[in-house]
Amino acid sequence: MKKMPLHTKILIGLVLGLVFGICSIQFGWSAEFTVNYIKPIGTIFVKSLKMIAVPLILASLIIGVANIGDISKLSRMGGKTLMIFLLTTVISTTVGLVLVNTFQPGKQLPQETRENLMSLYNSTAADKADVAAGIKSGTPLQPLIDIVPENIVQAATDNSAMLQVVFFAIIVGIALLQIPKEKGKYVVGFFDGLNDVVIKLVEYIMVIAPYGVFALIASLIVEIAGDDPQKAFELLTALLWYSLTVIGGLLIMMTIVYPLMLRFFSKIKYVNFFRAMRPAMLLGFSTSSSSATLPVTMERVEKKLGVSEEVSSFVLPLGATINMNGTSLYQGVAAVFIAQALGLDLSIGSQIMIVLTATLAAVGSAGVPGAGMVMLVIVLESVGIPTAGIALIVAPDRILDMVRTMVNLTGDAAVTVVVASTEGELTHPEDIEG
Amino acid sequence: MKKAPLHVLIILGMIIGTLWGILASHFGWVQFTINWIKPFGSIFINLLKLVAVPLVIVTIVGGITSLSDTTKLTRIGSKTLGWFVAISVISSTIGLIFVLVVAPGKLLPESKRDELKVQYADDVSVRVSAANEVKNNGPLRILEDLVPGNIFYAAQDNRNMLQVIFFSVLFGIGIVLSPKDKTAGLRSFFLGVNEAMLKMVHVIMKFAPIGVMALIAGLLVDLAGDSPREAIDLLKVLGVFALTVIAAIIFLMFVVYPIIISRFTNFKYFDFLRKLLPAEILAFSTSSSAATLPVTLDCAERNLKLSNEVSGFVLPLGITINMHGTCIHQAISAVFIAQAFGHDLGMTEYLIVIFTCVLSSMGAPAVPGAGIVMLLIVLGSLGVEPEGLALILAIDRPLDMIRTIPNVVGDAVVAAIIDKSEKARAIPPPNV
Repeated sequence: MKKMPLHTKILIGLVLGLVFGICSIQFGWSAEFTVNYIKPIGTIFVKSLKMIAVPLILASLIIGVANIGDISKLSRMGGKTLMIFLLTTVISTTVGLVLVNTFQPGKQLPQETRENLMSLYNSTAADKADVAAGIKSGTPLQPLIDIVPENIVQAATDNSAMLQVVFFAIIVGIALLQIPKEKGKYVVGFFDGLNDVVIKLVEYIMVIAPYGVFALIASLIVEIAGDDPQKAFELLTALLWYSLTVIGGLLIMMTIVYPLMLRFFSKIKYVNFFRAMRPAMLLGFSTSSSSATLPVTMERVEKKLGVSEEVSSFVLPLGATINMNGTSLYQGVAAVFIAQALGLDLSIGSQIMIVLTATLAAVGSAGVPGAGMVMLVIVLESVGIPTAGIALIVAPDRILDMVRTMVNLTGDAAVTVVVASTEGELTHPEDIEG
Repeated sequence: MKKAPLHVLIILGMIIGTLWGILASHFGWVQFTINWIKPFGSIFINLLKLVAVPLVIVTIVGGITSLSDTTKLTRIGSKTLGWFVAISVISSTIGLIFVLVVAPGKLLPESKRDELKVQYADDVSVRVSAANEVKNNGPLRILEDLVPGNIFYAAQDNRNMLQVIFFSVLFGIGIVLSPKDKTAGLRSFFLGVNEAMLKMVHVIMKFAPIGVMALIAGLLVDLAGDSPREAIDLLKVLGVFALTVIAAIIFLMFVVYPIIISRFTNFKYFDFLRKLLPAEILAFSTSSSAATLPVTLDCAERNLKLSNEVSGFVLPLGITINMHGTCIHQAISAVFIAQAFGHDLGMTEYLIVIFTCVLSSMGAPAVPGAGIVMLLIVLGSLGVEPEGLALILAIDRPLDMIRTIPNVVGDAVVAAIIDKSEKARAIPPPNV
């Protein structure tokens, strides 16, 4: 058999998973089989990507910062990167709010269906509400406080504390720049080797990606359609509208906002950009974790778009944790959808509040599947929408999580290209092949 | 005074500890022993465990990076697993045969059985709920648990050793396949840490005689402490069971291992045992093969002269997935409980016992006290009451000490076999 490119295999896995899931429901195959023997493959795949995330961030950021070799350059690039991240996040949240106010998907939902649903999701929603309560108790500057780890090893043991690891890695990198080269060379050599080895490991893990993706999709479908499909029809329509709104917003980001950005600030054609990023997008879609996808995103941006390693290894890991355009857009839409479904009217003031909180929440939520849900609770609380309403959107969340992760990492990549291009770190953008 | 060799000192420590423990429980110095002697034993175990995770990481990574290519790793890996499974099956079968011949369960008076059931009811219910948790997991859960979601999280708990091993093996392979000049810093780092860890083990072992003394004294006081009569009573009732386990372990260690050693390696078995002596004593007094690992590695490399690439791979892997003593104990326990409750087992049940014992000794690594918990699942699949666990919990501790010895020696046996066959490969016989 001829060697297929990786993203083709992933796509095949995706489609097969879809077909398997649908057949399994249609012909009444045992769901237990899928859960017992197919789902674990997906779990193993995602777990092995998570396993590599912290070592990757540590090594790539330390080496990234240390290789820049010029502290003034770092601070200028850092400032610019943060500004663009903030800007794109505000834009995406606004896009989401405009759309959800125009289409009003929440008004589709009948009262009694909503109550049924509420009791169904009660326990899950209550758990996540607890977590958010703990986070919310801080001051507005709490996200800033939370960036600084009290103990770096403990931070490294917790995937949702990725931002703390990022912070530590940046500081270590800066410190390495300021000590004499002679003294720092062993540390740099160690992390340089570590970086190479970790990237090698990612290549191995990606070999099982198609199977992992197949398993993830198949088990997702089987588990979602566990109930009687007839009964949930009304609800599905409303959720469909809601999902379409989110997806519409995400599409606007992908087809209007990012192309405009690339057009104004770089020489790269959007078609080429899109083609180069396709494997990363597909992986982001199926893992719904931008930090799990990070290695692939990095590789594509460096090898196919010609962004220098200095820029990509600085902007992308940072972006994976603090720049979540898809997530903030989704949070805006979800908050207003819930308010509409519960018959609440949101003033302009509360909507601006949503923009602000969603932006901050995106900065605070780590690149782990499910973290967005916790942050949504904070958004809801800040504008006084009952937190229990979150139960409404749990069902399509997984699917939307996949789509918005795709946008998150596309946004990261777009910002990376813009930063690289304005810093003059974009090599040979002309000879890019598909 | 001339300096006595270390293992003589350790044995001396053991004897003094035993004497002290007997005297202390006799004259009522229990509190003094617990307050002022036992802590030294805990410190000693902690010191050994402290070295365990870093040592596992550096020996595995170091061992793999010293391999020239990955085909060798695949070969060593599959041979190792093959031997692990083969000897585990043999061990379980030995346990099964012994328990069937002696039939200790039929000797247990019914009154005693019910008494024990009441006494240990709380203990049992805790394990039963743990076992139910395990049962609810899918069959592929063991594979899922092999992969750490976060390597730093896995490394902060000695129970996740298998995940750490998994990561280290992958990491080592990554180093082998990356360009040499890029990873030079990384390689020398791991080599340096490896040296430092082994030096640490030497320093810690100087403390071993005192540590072993304190461990044994503390244990005896704990066991017999408040009412030595009760302990003796228990021993009378469960004595035949305990003797069956011990006899099977002796059979394994003095019949099966010697045959394997003389057939597949160049060692003389008693020489082999003597060179491993420090590890054996530690296994007995700590009843933890993970805590013993640093010493086992040291003995294997310095006394047995096994190559670093083999022992650095086989021994850490063995501590979690190769437990011959545990296999024997589980097989005997399961059938003993079934006998005590008057169940008749047929050939199918015996096969189930062997199969599940081998599987469970290979480990549900995420579950604490995995052995006992898995035993409950064996009991469940045989249709035997889980309360029967109470019968063997009573004297589990001393048996745990004894069965740790073959667990550790078994790892070294497999390491010696693999080492021999790898060396034979490296230097082909002259007539080829």
